[in-house]
Amino acid sequence: MWNSLAFRLWRAAYLRAVSSAFATVPLYRETWALRGRTDPVLVPGKTGTGGGALPADEVHRRLVDTAPLAGGSTEPDPARGLAGLLGHATERRSHRLVVVVDSDVARPPTGLPRGSRGCVLHPDAATAAGDEPVLREIVDTLRRGERVLAVGEAKNLDMLSAELPAELPPPDRVPHHRIDRPGGGPFGLLHDPLLGYLGVLRECGRLHVDRRHVYVRETPGGLAFTVLDRTSPRLVDVLIGGGVPGEVHACPKHASPVIDT
Amino acid sequence: MNVEISDPRFDPEPSGWASFVGSHGLHPVWRYPLMRLEAWTARNPPVLAVVREHGRVVGGLQVMVCRSWRTGRFGPPAPRLARWRPRWAEVYLPLHSGYPAAAFHPDADARAAVREFERALVRWAGPGLLGVLYRAMTADLAGAMAGPGRPCREIDPAAVLNPPATFEAWRAHLDDDVRATIDAIDADPEVCTDVGAGRSDLDPTELAALLNAHRARQDARAWAGGQRSRFAGLHLDTRSPVSPAYLESLLRRSNVLTRTYRTPAGRLLGFSTMINDRAAAAFHHWAALPKADGGVPGLHRHAYAQAVAKAVERRATTLTAGRAMLEEKAALGFRDVRELHTVAAPRPLLGDRRGPQAAPPRETPQRTTTPARTGRTT
Repeated sequence: MWNSLAFRLWRAAYLRAVSSAFATVPLYRETWALRGRTDPVLVPGKTGTGGGALPADEVHRRLVDTAPLAGGSTEPDPARGLAGLLGHATERRSHRLVVVVDSDVARPPTGLPRGSRGCVLHPDAATAAGDEPVLREIVDTLRRGERVLAVGEAKNLDMLSAELPAELPPPDRVPHHRIDRPGGGPFGLLHDPLLGYLGVLRECGRLHVDRRHVYVRETPGGLAFTVLDRTSPRLVDVLIGGGVPGEVHACPKHASPVIDT
Repeated sequence: MNVEISDPRFDPEPSGWASFVGSHGLHPVWRYPLMRLEAWTARNPPVLAVVREHGRVVGGLQVMVCRSWRTGRFGPPAPRLARWRPRWAEVYLPLHSGYPAAAFHPDADARAAVREFERALVRWAGPGLLGVLYRAMTADLAGAMAGPGRPCREIDPAAVLNPPATFEAWRAHLDDDVRATIDAIDADPEVCTDVGAGRSDLDPTELAALLNAHRARQDARAWAGGQRSRFAGLHLDTRSPVSPAYLESLLRRSNVLTRTYRTPAGRLLGFSTMINDRAAAAFHHWAALPKADGGVPGLHRHAYAQAVAKAVERRATTLTAGRAMLEEKAALGFRDVRELHTVAAPRPLLGDRRGPQAAPPRETPQRTTTPARTGRTT
């Protein structure tokens, strides 16, 4: 693994998340106390199956149990983590308007750099040229000569580009990648509808994990992702994309964790 | 007489306990595997105190060792240092609050057993134990637990019905509007219902979510209505949300009837569970969607009617229906009550053998018979 202090801090953040989830969140309490888990083992003698990781569809079905006992939201944020990854996802440092074109994302991304605004465009609405306020906003921004960044599935981005007037410069685009459907470079964001943005495809061609906010663990069921900084809904050791086998190791160029599937 | 205390999370089932539960007709909440599920998913996990005489099980108490009313954490395993932390114990069935959490063989000396239990609990819990609260005890049990310096007070009673010989006889005593509501639900094509025992075809997550939301709503309403002293209310609550794992295991038991109400599209409107024992049937859980979320008003009346029909069919001696909404239950024929008492035993008096109770609880005018000294059959 990459430099050992950074790894230890990353690992410590994960262990804190596991401990907190076991002590306060009904879903993980029930799963790990009754079935068990590994790495770490919380109840002596109970190691469970799949290392204690849960498939995303099961977590989604039991979202009501992902809020801590003290209360909290049970609504996932599919746009979580986008702002922190944009710096690595494009060559430009900032854009006036960041548009997420995805049917799973209902609320605009938060935490964007100063001067940037975020908005959401449903793919179906992208075809309603002229009538859609977000589309008008994109056109106006481009007409003013300011930069627009469109994020979403490649086919949705193509659809958006087709709807914009040909005389305008095209928006910058960063496609979504799903863990079970990895795409090519040079840019891209690893996205999951439940957990949000998890990593970024950088110029080295490797999929870098958002290590400040996400932990990845290899389990028998596949790569399990943990959102470190969101406590409700608490999402720990979630197998996304049906559980995709893979490895976590250090990027030789950037010395940060990358995943190989 | 000696008492052994077991933490269901870690300790194996005490020998002889399962047969004691079976022979005394105790409800499923006393089954050790269910206690284990409950303990792992509780803020204040219950432990089981088994009373033995000459090695034979003659009684048992379920005890919650509580750390706080408002903790947002599940109960931790008991490390050695926690023995100094202030805690109190509640002898209470958190998921079956109309019944006492103590059961003794009819021939056992309940007073001696309780005092022995208190001494064992002090040893087990450590110096941080502040006292024991015996909640929802029947009059005879409260008498065994009371004594000088132990305050005793009467709390909300449990509603009781002694089922008549026929369902029609029960129905004849209902008010017209109650009968009309039941008939309207029966005739409503938008309400589909099914019932079964030992069910494994239900989604426990869906049911648990509805049940926990229903309980939270009830408790918020009680609090808003000024019921500050309600110990089972969320604001002073030592209980925990019901977990899907617990509910799944409970519903799979052969003596637990589960009835669901759904729309024709399959949306869950409400459900009830009933412990369908011949000696002592109990309307156990009830939860429904509020009207504002698409719920059907009066659904609970239909559920109670169906429970009475099952109790009549089973020829149950009694059917109990919990401690809340007594007026509504009286309208459904549950006009008898079982009086319940809470006794507080402060730490200095735990294990104290002194004299009879200071203030004997009043005799309940409409009490019904009990097979074991648990009061759990009314």
